[in-house]
Amino acid sequence: MDNLKDHKIEMPEWIYSNENYIPLTDKDTFINKSILSVFHVISRIRMQDSLDNSRFKINVSLNIFFTFLLIVLLSITKSFIFVVIVIVYLLSILSFTEADRLVKILKFSISVTLFTAVIMLPAFFMGNSYSSIMITTKVFATTTSMGLLSYSSKWNSITEALKLFHVPDIFILILDITIKYIFMLGDYSMNMLYALKLRSVGKNSNKYTSMAGIAGTTFLQSKEMVTDMYHAMECRGFTGEYHICNKSKFKWVDYIFIAINVGAILLFFHFERA
Amino acid sequence: MIEIKNLFYSYGDSIALDDINLVIRPGEAVALMGANGCGKSTLLKLINGLISPDQGSYSFNGVEITEKKLQDAKFSKLFHQKIGFVFQNSDTQLFSSSVYDEVAFGPRQMGMSESEVDIRVNDCLCLLSIQSLKNRIPYHLSGGEKRKVAIACVMSLNPEVLVLDEPMNGLDPKTQRWLVEFLNHLNKAGKTLITSTHNLELVHGISNRAVLFHEEHTIAADLPTERLLENVELLKKVNLI
Repeated sequence: MDNLKDHKIEMPEWIYSNENYIPLTDKDTFINKSILSVFHVISRIRMQDSLDNSRFKINVSLNIFFTFLLIVLLSITKSFIFVVIVIVYLLSILSFTEADRLVKILKFSISVTLFTAVIMLPAFFMGNSYSSIMITTKVFATTTSMGLLSYSSKWNSITEALKLFHVPDIFILILDITIKYIFMLGDYSMNMLYALKLRSVGKNSNKYTSMAGIAGTTFLQSKEMVTDMYHAMECRGFTGEYHICNKSKFKWVDYIFIAINVGAILLFFHFERA
Repeated sequence: MIEIKNLFYSYGDSIALDDINLVIRPGEAVALMGANGCGKSTLLKLINGLISPDQGSYSFNGVEITEKKLQDAKFSKLFHQKIGFVFQNSDTQLFSSSVYDEVAFGPRQMGMSESEVDIRVNDCLCLLSIQSLKNRIPYHLSGGEKRKVAIACVMSLNPEVLVLDEPMNGLDPKTQRWLVEFLNHLNKAGKTLITSTHNLELVHGISNRAVLFHEEHTIAADLPTERLLENVELLKKVNLI
């Protein structure tokens, strides 16, 4: 840096007067839209922090295992009654969740179901009404169960629960770090977009150059952060091995959850044999 | 100039600003002080129109700043020209390929001719004593240099109000002292300064009035800086010392 001690601060003339500036109109919705989309991702991750208040905290490993099992059973079943029973079961669990979470889950699953229904319309009118209804209801059940899983479990506890399924520890570490960096770099790029918005006080004919600058700087920042983190891990004795221990214990609510899901499996076989 | 009345803001369930009332007059140098997480940065974002209050009002030069008003591109651009914001992390503010282009970004947007832009950029580089960095890539600069470039970028717009979020963070003592002197000169030139800081040693140098935040996100005191610094009990109460 230049020698500060010898530098005498002399203000230029224009600083003493206010700018007589009338901005030209320019389309800058791209900055606002980019801010909104990054903000959405960040708030989704930040929201995970407040997930502790679910009324029935089911063991995350069990939740993951039975959710995926249920999805497999839903996919291979030919019984419409089984699908309906599962939907009733999912909706009754949903009725115990907080109102705002319930709305979010239903909003997502209903919109996906409606989209599927629209796609299935030609098949429905061509005579494949049973398959069309079956697929649409299966989509609703699957998305609702995934919604219940993602809105009731923190992402870090989901990745931790993967340990139970013998997923390699290093893979779990990478997943954890990925989520962390989506948040951190998201926050970083959002601040850059804010800075761009604040300085976009006129007509910018090179909008995409600025966006490319933001992308490039974010990439360089991520590279630097990764190197720093690796060095920090090395300093703490990291040699490529990463150990995670799953300390979760079973509670009474978990046994009820197991019983209900075993019942669902039995029902599946019952309806498949019928 | 800036008038904030009964302002509330929260991030989801957690309250960031609780019933804030504040008036800042032209030419004032105000320091926002408080422990980490007390809401200083949120208030600065609000003053810059990056977020809108959940309740209450914020007026700038007699005009209420609302989300709807900021959707009007012309109004929003004029408002952002009048208030400059220096971010806490200078990295987030620099996105051009050279220091010159970075500082020229604002004046070019304002429709100045290239010769005017050149004069403005050189004035700013000279003002911040960073002429030698003119052709350097902003990303490769040191922390202090980046902070100076970030300030130059904002100064090139010649805003009436300069908002600085923790400007002393990460700077060596010499650069900190220089920054204090620089902000003093700016204030004497008629610029309104709003600075968030928890640096008690330098706060009297950059402000004549200090607004102290409580950890409960309310204003605990609004006093002349010297008087506030003498009130050790209050500073202890808000966990600042």
